[in-house]
Amino acid sequence: MAKDVWIIAEQRDGVLRKISFELASTARKLADELGEEVCAVLLGNGVTAGAKDLAKYGVDKIFVADDAIFAPYTTDAHSEAVAKLVKEKEPAIILLGASSQGKDLSSRLAGKLATGLATDCTDVKIAAGKMVAVRPVYAGKCFVEVQSATNPQLASLRPNVFPVVEKAGAGEVIATEIAIDPAQLKTKVLEVQKDASGRVDLTEALVIVSGGRGMGGPGGYAALEELAGILNATVGASRAAVDSGWRPQTDQVGQTGKVVSPNLYIACGISGAIQHLAGMSSSKYIVAINKDSEAPIFSKADYGIVEDLFKVIPELTKECKILMG
Amino acid sequence: MNIIACIKQVPDTEAQIRVKADGSGIEETGIKWVMNAYDEYGVEEALRLKEKNGGEVTVVSLGPARVMETLRTALAMGADKGIHISDPALEDADAYVTASALAAAIKQTPYDIIFCGQRAIDDDAGQVGSILAELLGIPQITVVTKLDVDGTVAKAIRPIEGAQLLIQASLPCLVTTQKGLNEPRYASLPGIMKAKKKPVDVKDAASLGVALDKKLRVLRFVSPPARAAGKIISGDDPAAKAASLAKLLREEAKVI
Amino acid sequence: MEQAKFYVGHEGRQIFWNVESFEALLFIFAAVAILIFGYGIYQRWQLWKAIGKPEVRNDKILQRLNLLLKYGFFQVKTWRQAYPGIMHGLIFFGFFILIFGTFFDSLEFHVTEPLGFIFLIGKFYLYFSLAMEIFGLAILVGIVMALYRRYITKPDFLGYKGENDNQPDDAIVLLLIGGIIITGFMLEALRITATMPPWEVWSFGGWWLAKAFAGMSEENVKMLHKIAWWTHSLLTFGFIGYIPYSRLLHIITSPANIFLASLQPKGYLEPIRDFETAESFGVGKLEDFTWKQIFDSDACTRCGRCQEGCPAYLSGKPLSPKKVIQDLKNYWLAKAKTVVAAQKAAAAGKEGAIDQAGLDKVLPGEVVDLHELWACTNCMYCMEHCPVLIEHIPKIIGMRQYKVLTEADFAPELQLTYRNMENNSNPWGMGAHTRADWAKELDVKILADDPNVEYLFYVGCSGSFDERGKKVAVSLSRILQAAGVSFGILGTEEGCCGDSAMRGGNEYLYQAMAQANIETMNGYGVKKIITMCPHGYNALKKDYPHFGGNFEVYHHTEIIADLLAKGKITLKKQLTGRFTYHDSCFLGRYNDIFTQPRTILQAVPGLELVEMERNRTKAFCCGAGGGRMWMEEDQGERINDMRTDQAIAAQADTVAVACPFCLTMLSDGIKDRQKEESMAALDIAEIVWSAMGMEEKE
Repeated sequence: MAKDVWIIAEQRDGVLRKISFELASTARKLADELGEEVCAVLLGNGVTAGAKDLAKYGVDKIFVADDAIFAPYTTDAHSEAVAKLVKEKEPAIILLGASSQGKDLSSRLAGKLATGLATDCTDVKIAAGKMVAVRPVYAGKCFVEVQSATNPQLASLRPNVFPVVEKAGAGEVIATEIAIDPAQLKTKVLEVQKDASGRVDLTEALVIVSGGRGMGGPGGYAALEELAGILNATVGASRAAVDSGWRPQTDQVGQTGKVVSPNLYIACGISGAIQHLAGMSSSKYIVAINKDSEAPIFSKADYGIVEDLFKVIPELTKECKILMG
Repeated sequence: MNIIACIKQVPDTEAQIRVKADGSGIEETGIKWVMNAYDEYGVEEALRLKEKNGGEVTVVSLGPARVMETLRTALAMGADKGIHISDPALEDADAYVTASALAAAIKQTPYDIIFCGQRAIDDDAGQVGSILAELLGIPQITVVTKLDVDGTVAKAIRPIEGAQLLIQASLPCLVTTQKGLNEPRYASLPGIMKAKKKPVDVKDAASLGVALDKKLRVLRFVSPPARAAGKIISGDDPAAKAASLAKLLREEAKVI
Repeated sequence: MEQAKFYVGHEGRQIFWNVESFEALLFIFAAVAILIFGYGIYQRWQLWKAIGKPEVRNDKILQRLNLLLKYGFFQVKTWRQAYPGIMHGLIFFGFFILIFGTFFDSLEFHVTEPLGFIFLIGKFYLYFSLAMEIFGLAILVGIVMALYRRYITKPDFLGYKGENDNQPDDAIVLLLIGGIIITGFMLEALRITATMPPWEVWSFGGWWLAKAFAGMSEENVKMLHKIAWWTHSLLTFGFIGYIPYSRLLHIITSPANIFLASLQPKGYLEPIRDFETAESFGVGKLEDFTWKQIFDSDACTRCGRCQEGCPAYLSGKPLSPKKVIQDLKNYWLAKAKTVVAAQKAAAAGKEGAIDQAGLDKVLPGEVVDLHELWACTNCMYCMEHCPVLIEHIPKIIGMRQYKVLTEADFAPELQLTYRNMENNSNPWGMGAHTRADWAKELDVKILADDPNVEYLFYVGCSGSFDERGKKVAVSLSRILQAAGVSFGILGTEEGCCGDSAMRGGNEYLYQAMAQANIETMNGYGVKKIITMCPHGYNALKKDYPHFGGNFEVYHHTEIIADLLAKGKITLKKQLTGRFTYHDSCFLGRYNDIFTQPRTILQAVPGLELVEMERNRTKAFCCGAGGGRMWMEEDQGERINDMRTDQAIAAQADTVAVACPFCLTMLSDGIKDRQKEESMAALDIAEIVWSAMGMEEKE
């Protein structure tokens, strides 16, 4: 009989990532409704020390498999390890983060365990003893409520959506031996290239902070870079800024530049002519900051601030810093 | 080299998405159907591998009759043949069933590498590729922005938060493709005309022996709360407005 | 007739005085010259026949003769540039009249005199002599003007990017003609010196020159006369023989090209009909052109009028219409010669004897540089001003079609544009279902609800999706409603007109969109259409008929001008300011609509209308046509900024336009030049609605 809510915790270089705490808090909430336990699976190398931090957020048991074979992350090692544990202990629900690693792992697990997976969920709840997950589809134009027909019920949670709630759990750290045959691993991480800027390319960025004619010159972009740093965003530019030589052509967003589709596009000092819109209109959320209230961008923006952008951006950076922790 | 590219036909990204009154799905009338953008990178990469190493590119797709048009688009780009898995029983297949059907079809043909888009822009689920790799028992590299295939080894760049991984996998393997991997080519007119005559095998669930029981059930579709037409944020001063904005982005839009 | 037989009241001259004995020789030389000429023409003829698909250009002879008269004889296009127009006119009409002179002399000597009468006599002879004199001098003046222009002034017309393209042949031809005229005057002067009839003062040039030989002995005069006469004759025969081997060939090819001109409406493009079986589309190899498209290049005299107004050239792009034509010509000559030689060798049984290496080039890229090919905005300045009616644009579009349809090798920005058109029927990729949103509040009829309207207002993509363009659509709708015009829109059933796809080489996509629109329009029984965009106007009016779309199409300036004239709308509100009107290429040069917009503007009370230097047929393009709206401009200056500078130079505070592309381009230009505080670009519909003073009623 499957029971308990599990989370697959995520760590980087031995430090637990924030998503792990979000998973823990959510798992705790579900487990409380079911009257069951929350267990975490933590795979990595040199992770035992930090494992008990999960107890703060409601985790009862933490299965730690501390071995060099688990770092860096490979699909084969982690999915094999988790699958083994799952087959042994039969959890009812498993939550993972919808991070790069989590998406890769959760989908492979869905295949390995031949079970249902809800990806990138924005909400999970219990109904009649089973998990119902809510997730966006069609780029968030609508949502679906889904449920796995089999156990374990898998769900990956969208980062930065679920609250982190401190609630003490039993926090028992259990060192776990999982035998993985290295010869079975068919993928290898050859190199980890840390981004010097940490910036993703415009076309893949989830958040973009973009500056146009209203920036008045190259100097103003320093403020945008700072905001982008806090939001883990990439900085873009309109054609006017590129033409004036303030930003390189590779930063240009628009009909004749790059077409982007981030979750959030913050347009600073951009009027919003159609050639620019054609490059970013499929952004999920558009914010416009422009001192011209007549600028066409306001008709497309979800949130607009009619104000001198140089007064707003530093304040926004401050606020976001606080929010992002 | 034998290369397979899995493609999915989805609504155009600008299509109006309206949830049916009974919540069972979306209204399909008037929708413009196109190839999933992420799958295009897969088809393009497949064609480039073929141009470099020789061989054949097969495109596979699961879906109703209208999917044939998208298969022809891939053939027009230069793929050699197609497999169309079409069966009313598979109409609302979930990721597992879809992957099972694809696996059954693909097992019948030799392959060195398989491409899938990293996700489909309709369900945004991103599972089929990985499940398919698992069912075929081959390694996967997902969300790839650069690929090099040399003999029996594939090396790929895969971005993660704050870094890029250089991953190696032995062939045969499955790669899911991400924006930036390549620029998909525009089909030439001779290509479009030739595509009409290229072979497409049509298969149904029975002939593939696919188990139809779904692992993930869709309970219902829900419209999001009507998005406000866009609000101009008011406040006493820039600081107040900025604070309001940050709050809205975190709590209402949930994008930061 | 003997010189001595003439006297005052019975003036004349002895034809062939002093040289009658050479007549037989003359005929021999003439025959030789004509043979050389004939052979040259024959060789050229073979080259003209050698390559190119068939095309019918010898229909409607009367219309063609009319064109020949207008452009070939009266040369109305050459006059548009004053200096070279006069220069060429002097030479051309000079020759025309002088040839009559020689003809009359021969006629009298060989035909009428033997038959018993002469006509070069008395008053007629005097006026005849005067005419010869004047036109002979005219030619001389023309030659001096030409030499001065080409070798002293060296305008960019006769060059490319500051380097002149003079060839030795240019000087030879001018000096040859100069020599013929000068020796002609000399021998006349010598004859006058020897025979001294008093009426020869009518030949004032020769009369004046005769003074130089006054002191000479009669024998020397006669000998000098013979020498001058022979020189003159040999130079003339040399001229005739030289025609096919020099730029003088334009004497034949230019009028021929005018005769063979397209009788289709301006800007006509032949649609591709066969998509199914053809292996290649558009123009990849020289053979893909029709024979006429190739012949065009042989009529080109490198006059440079095309280049002088080409917006791409003037803004620093490598494109020059003249260069494109000359590059094609040079390649054609090289290739056609080998083709003809190969044909001869094959006929003689020696297959494969001719080396054709390097002559199987792909024109776009290998003969015409791709940067040149894609820089064209299709503005038609070149075709409008070419005196010999060369058709540059269909060649460019043909080559673009090859790049797009056959090779699928073209700019990524265009790829995006084409995809957007395919998926959402507009170049920006905005959701197709939002196409009619602009009209929601306006009580505008949708044909799906009620097709019983007089006009279809074909809004177009800009009016439907671009915030700026929507304002124009709204203004126009309000004007039409106020005037009581019965109209409706297709709403979400409307599709992109396809003009950008067509001119960007994607004929396949264009036809798909056009056919969809035509089907919808015919389904509603649409007869009359009003457009707000000249590109849509041109496509619907001239290109849609190919696919069964036969409608009466009007541009909104035509409709508004008509409404004003009929008093259906009145302009009461004053709009002060200096307005200048920017002629859209697709409205002006393509469709000759120059007057209506100006009439409208002049009807606005208080409005001061000034003209930019380049206006009407010489208007400077805004830079958006030919698919350029969707592409990056990465070389030289921005075309729209240059046009904005021209508006600034005219000291206008408002630029009035009648096209959404021009509106965007000029608005951007004003921003680039940082003149937003003092200048604005407005569509005529917006101006008219404002001047109607009805906004307060909103």
